[in-house]
Amino acid sequence: MGLKTLDKITAALESRPAELEQLRKQGKKIVGWLAYNIPEEIIYALGLIPIRIGQGGDGRLVEVGARHISTKNCVFVRQALGQFAEKTDPYIKQLDLVAIDATCIQLYRLEELINFYFDYKTIVLGVPRNFATTEGHEYFRKEVEFFTKKLELFAGTALEQSRLEEAISIYDNIREAIKTLYRYQSLDNAPLSWRQVSSVINAGYNLDRLTYLELLQELIKEIEKNLSAGTGSREIEARIFLSGSLIPPGDTKLIDIIEQLGGRIVGDDLWSGLNFFLNLNIQEPTPYSVADAYLDRVPHGSLPYLDLESDGRLANLKHQIKEFNADGVVYHTLRYCDAFTFKAGETKDVLGNVPFLEIHTEYSGSDFEAIRTRVEAFIEMIKSKKEIAELV
Amino acid sequence: MAITAPFSYPESIKEKFTATQGLKFKDGSTVSSAEIWEFMTKEAPTRFPYAFDAGANNMGRFSDDVNFLSGIKRGYLTLTLKDRVMKEHAAGTPTVLVQGGQAMDAYYAAGGLPVRPGLVMQWARNMHEGLSLRQSETLGLNILESGRRKISIDACNQIAAHAAIDNKVVPIDLIAPFLCLRCSDMSFLVETHRNREHDIPRYLVDYPVDHENKPWAAEYIATELRELIAKIAALSGRTVTDEVIFDEIRLENRGRRIATEIADLWWGAENPPTNSTDFFGIAFLANDFLGDPVASVDLLEQSKIEIEERIRNNVRGFGVPDHAKRLYICGSCVGPNAHHAQTAGAIFVGRDDSWSCISVPVEEEGDPYLNIARSMLAYPYEQRTEKRAEWTAEQVRRSRADGVIFMYQWGCNYQSGVARMISDIVKEKAGVVTTFVEVGELGRSEATEQSTNRVEAFIEMV
Ligand code: SF4
Ligand code: SF4
Repeated sequence: MGLKTLDKITAALESRPAELEQLRKQGKKIVGWLAYNIPEEIIYALGLIPIRIGQGGDGRLVEVGARHISTKNCVFVRQALGQFAEKTDPYIKQLDLVAIDATCIQLYRLEELINFYFDYKTIVLGVPRNFATTEGHEYFRKEVEFFTKKLELFAGTALEQSRLEEAISIYDNIREAIKTLYRYQSLDNAPLSWRQVSSVINAGYNLDRLTYLELLQELIKEIEKNLSAGTGSREIEARIFLSGSLIPPGDTKLIDIIEQLGGRIVGDDLWSGLNFFLNLNIQEPTPYSVADAYLDRVPHGSLPYLDLESDGRLANLKHQIKEFNADGVVYHTLRYCDAFTFKAGETKDVLGNVPFLEIHTEYSGSDFEAIRTRVEAFIEMIKSKKEIAELV
Repeated sequence: MAITAPFSYPESIKEKFTATQGLKFKDGSTVSSAEIWEFMTKEAPTRFPYAFDAGANNMGRFSDDVNFLSGIKRGYLTLTLKDRVMKEHAAGTPTVLVQGGQAMDAYYAAGGLPVRPGLVMQWARNMHEGLSLRQSETLGLNILESGRRKISIDACNQIAAHAAIDNKVVPIDLIAPFLCLRCSDMSFLVETHRNREHDIPRYLVDYPVDHENKPWAAEYIATELRELIAKIAALSGRTVTDEVIFDEIRLENRGRRIATEIADLWWGAENPPTNSTDFFGIAFLANDFLGDPVASVDLLEQSKIEIEERIRNNVRGFGVPDHAKRLYICGSCVGPNAHHAQTAGAIFVGRDDSWSCISVPVEEEGDPYLNIARSMLAYPYEQRTEKRAEWTAEQVRRSRADGVIFMYQWGCNYQSGVARMISDIVKEKAGVVTTFVEVGELGRSEATEQSTNRVEAFIEMV
């Protein structure tokens, strides 16, 4: 079904680079951020323009990046490096500052490289790898405070509590809206697909946050108005849940394959997807409180956690699979992304009877056919299981 | 294929060797040089024949410089590691998996026995005695492959140590390394143990990024060090007071100081007084302590005396080529084959990894936890890459190196990430040629042509 608000979002995106140019002329500063734990609320509250960066799926940019880093580094990092090297991306070329957090040390290395080779002004936020401990929290509080001070200097203004409060409220509402969209896309008579939700999330990388929130709320209204019109699907479908390394904007290989083969993606716990929007509850408008909230949400796979039973990432994964009524998990791992690759076998063990397929890949197309064959067999297997279950 | 005769120490040096002092150990025991000689010439060749394989591809091959007598004692400490660890373990000393490039003071002070992945693998291979080099490597590779099958083919060869623990080849009581920024695999490999049948306790001491001028970074580590020490002490039964920690710090600082003094002497010498193997062995000893800091420091002292004497007499280390090209080696856990490099006309004059660890002594007064934390945070190797490269360039100048080789293992994502940047900076700051080599052999001594050829081509170019 055609949702008009989606067209509006596309139009807003098209005009965004020119809008940013204008804003910069008026003295606004753009902060590009990359990684997993940058508290965007603080950037926004300081009157800076946050842009989330990081794309995938472009083999050419990966090669450009590989001139400065090894081909044995994660392909997402290599492509980002390629983008910084080329400076042709309409957003990257307008960045006044790049903020990167050290959740994944490969991204920390990226920060060093873009600072050294391409002269980007950068700022790093340390993230404790012992994130669940009191001392880890204490460390991160100080880091966020330090990060805020540096941003204040850059912005030329102090962080006001009221502005932070406002920012927190906008971001809370964005997160709620995305969660709502996820619920709708997973319905039997879904008014929009997972892929469409994913492109809405991707639009949020660049759009003005208030405009984005308004568009999200408009989209939800439009969906809700049309909800009753659909009827439940009778077809047997393979409801696929995506997990593992992120699948950033531009990386559509696996999504295309799953959809072309008749699989339906209904949920994910990706950091380019839903996880980013989950369980972030900032109690007070202070940097300390922001720090605590970021550390307490679903942990990123790059942060090691030594007890299986109480691992929040796995608990969330299990919960989301149920929530979205998924039939099987495609666990996507990027080559040299140890954070997720090393956990593949364990994740399969933990999920027990849930059908599980690991796809270990890069952005090149050379493994397209091999992945296709494996996904095809996986989807077939899920469908026949469901067919048999319907018969008995 | 020609079979090379095994390496052996000639009888002609026996008298000279047995006239030297033996080694003292941390439990107060001693071993005489005559006993060391017996072990290294009779017992060890039978029990560990692989170590005496004289093939040039044997990365762990002993130094040919048989007249550098401390080198023989270093071989003794290496080959007795298994016996010593097993004996201590049986007596209740907890064995702890750590990683290379980190301080060991806290572990020994708490009554633990820290072993890094490389030594875990040596220990694991030595659990089967009488093996040839090929057999011993096959044993190691089988362990490695079992780990890669279970976890990932993207892992570096450190995974073998974790597999050796999983497969109960060696008894480890605690898995508790520092998370140095050098290492991409350690944290995730430690994490894999949570899904294993064994229930070995685990702990990680974090290592924050960009910690300069951030007192909270050292406080964070210090708090974790307290917990680490408490965990080890609970296993060892030792009461760990500040004074106990300072005693250990003082001992290990002594080792670090002797090793840096040796490096300065060595670099200043007209002729390299030892070959690459012996020189690197010294730095390793002061960083790792091979299960016994008392014995290691004793041996470092003896090594220094020998080196001073050689320098006084302008003796060149055996195997050092005429007009040797001086190479500085960068990168973790892997390095070029010293024997091949010597044949190609080069000598290794330094190594950023182990040199970094020994270059920062721990303060001997105040809060020992904070002191260890601050010293760890000051390791040049763990600084921002630009700073690390500047320190490396300084080392290159001081060691009068003609070229730099940055080597990293397959799967070592953080070193692969900065190899080019470090090479570029060092080239610019130190004015020497640099190269970087990725090593994919993962513990094999065969099929090493690719990296060997690249190193040799580089030496030719230098
Ligand atoms: S977590 Fe994985 S995918 Fe993300 S940047 Fe790190 S290595 Fe790459
Ligand atoms: S080779 Fe690299 S990843 Fe592997 S143990 Fe060494 S530092 Fe860690």
